[in-house]
Amino acid sequence: MPSFVPTNAETLEEQRRYTQARLVEVECLDCLAKVSVKKNSEHHTSIQWSAEAVAACPELCRRTRSDSRDGDRGCPRLAASIEAAVAGGALSVGAEDGY
Amino acid sequence: MADTRTLDHGTTPLRYARGWHCLGLASTFSDGKPHAINGFGTKLVVWQDSKGELNVLDGYCRHMGGDLTQGEVKGDNIACPFHDWRWGGDGKCKEIPYARRVPLRARTQRYETAVVNGQLLIWNDPEGSAADRDILPPELPDVLTDKYTPWSWHTKEINGSHCRELIDNVADMAHFYYVHFAFPTSFRNIFEGHTATQFMESTGRPDKTTGGYSDANSTLKSVATYYGPSYMINWLTVDYKGFVTEVILINCHIPTGPDSFTLQYGISVQKPEGLDDKTVDYIAERYTESFGEGFLQDVHIWENKVAVQNPLLCEEDGPVYQLRRWYEQFYTDVADIKPEMTDRFEFEVDTTKANEYWHAEVAENLAKRAADDPETVSH
Ligand code: FES
Ligand SMILES: [Fe+2]
Repeated sequence: MPSFVPTNAETLEEQRRYTQARLVEVECLDCLAKVSVKKNSEHHTSIQWSAEAVAACPELCRRTRSDSRDGDRGCPRLAASIEAAVAGGALSVGAEDGY
Repeated sequence: MADTRTLDHGTTPLRYARGWHCLGLASTFSDGKPHAINGFGTKLVVWQDSKGELNVLDGYCRHMGGDLTQGEVKGDNIACPFHDWRWGGDGKCKEIPYARRVPLRARTQRYETAVVNGQLLIWNDPEGSAADRDILPPELPDVLTDKYTPWSWHTKEINGSHCRELIDNVADMAHFYYVHFAFPTSFRNIFEGHTATQFMESTGRPDKTTGGYSDANSTLKSVATYYGPSYMINWLTVDYKGFVTEVILINCHIPTGPDSFTLQYGISVQKPEGLDDKTVDYIAERYTESFGEGFLQDVHIWENKVAVQNPLLCEEDGPVYQLRRWYEQFYTDVADIKPEMTDRFEFEVDTTKANEYWHAEVAENLAKRAADDPETVSH
């Protein structure tokens, strides 16, 4: 079913660029979760989870889904693992022409 | 020139989103009369039956197309003004006063209903599935009790833009400075399943004075979650010179056509303790006014912009592409929903650099104003 169909092939490449380019796999140092991460700066972080990764993270599983109100800050163990990946050089920090 | 960037306007979807849509405060439909609501490319009729249930049908009679919203409630049914066919809330024709029997095929489009937080919601699905009540927005504790002011509810018709424009705001950090005159000091998103959330903190710009976010004396903590394609709950904690108020803003819409929708928003304010009702009402009215103004600031942009499938982003921008990927799930057959549309995505933007630039700009604006009008300096 067509919805919001781009009329220009280049647009598909843009979609790929912004949602997938520069994503690096980071494994949680604590649980079995593997996520994809991109960092445009120290503070600027995108984390793409998969269903398997969420299921593997005890921190996220503990939380109730409807409870988005109270500071859902993501998993602190994963955050620490991402920092470690940056420190170890596996994950580079910085953007490429806006993505 | 080959390296000139062009806007891809794309095509807008033919269908309307699957999910719960709010039609307004339930109390507005409970007077025993039929009510008309534009939605999903047609007109809907809403009425309350003798059991107090709210019913929603397509507004046009399946006999000869009469307008049921101009009919009459007779018993539990809605009666058409043209030939008095009586339609029940289950979508079946119950009676034709002048006929020996009702044709078996006399069924019309009905919408399943739910009342949440005092508001009437209906389930839309182009595939015709049964309503999914597990994904209704949550009930808000304490709202509709003495602890909160009653909903102040408003409606605004938007023409010339698809409702996805409104959704895009969830990922848009920078527009808070330019459109709503606030410094967004912290900005995060989480998209997961049928929800998309924006976590935002801001302070107002001292060089501007209009709109809900722009008071320089107040800081704002906002958590705004879309539950499905069209119903957002926005929890706002406003700190005005140390005086803290909890505000709940509902932001919802019904698509009315391929490039039009009706925006509805409601505001309820937690009554501060130790204040009399009059003062509380006054405070609630001020918030309603200022957040209403905030919406109008967005509306003006939407009504004048064009649709763009290939936005060009800079590295300080929010995850517009991921948000749209999430939104796409509501326009896809359930069987075709891709994991990446619903998989959890977390994002936090770095607002430091942006705020440095913005503070410098505001300082300049204030200096310019002081030079133009030395009077203001002494104030
Ligand atoms: S058109 Fe409605 S009763 Fe004839
Ligand atoms: Fe906005």
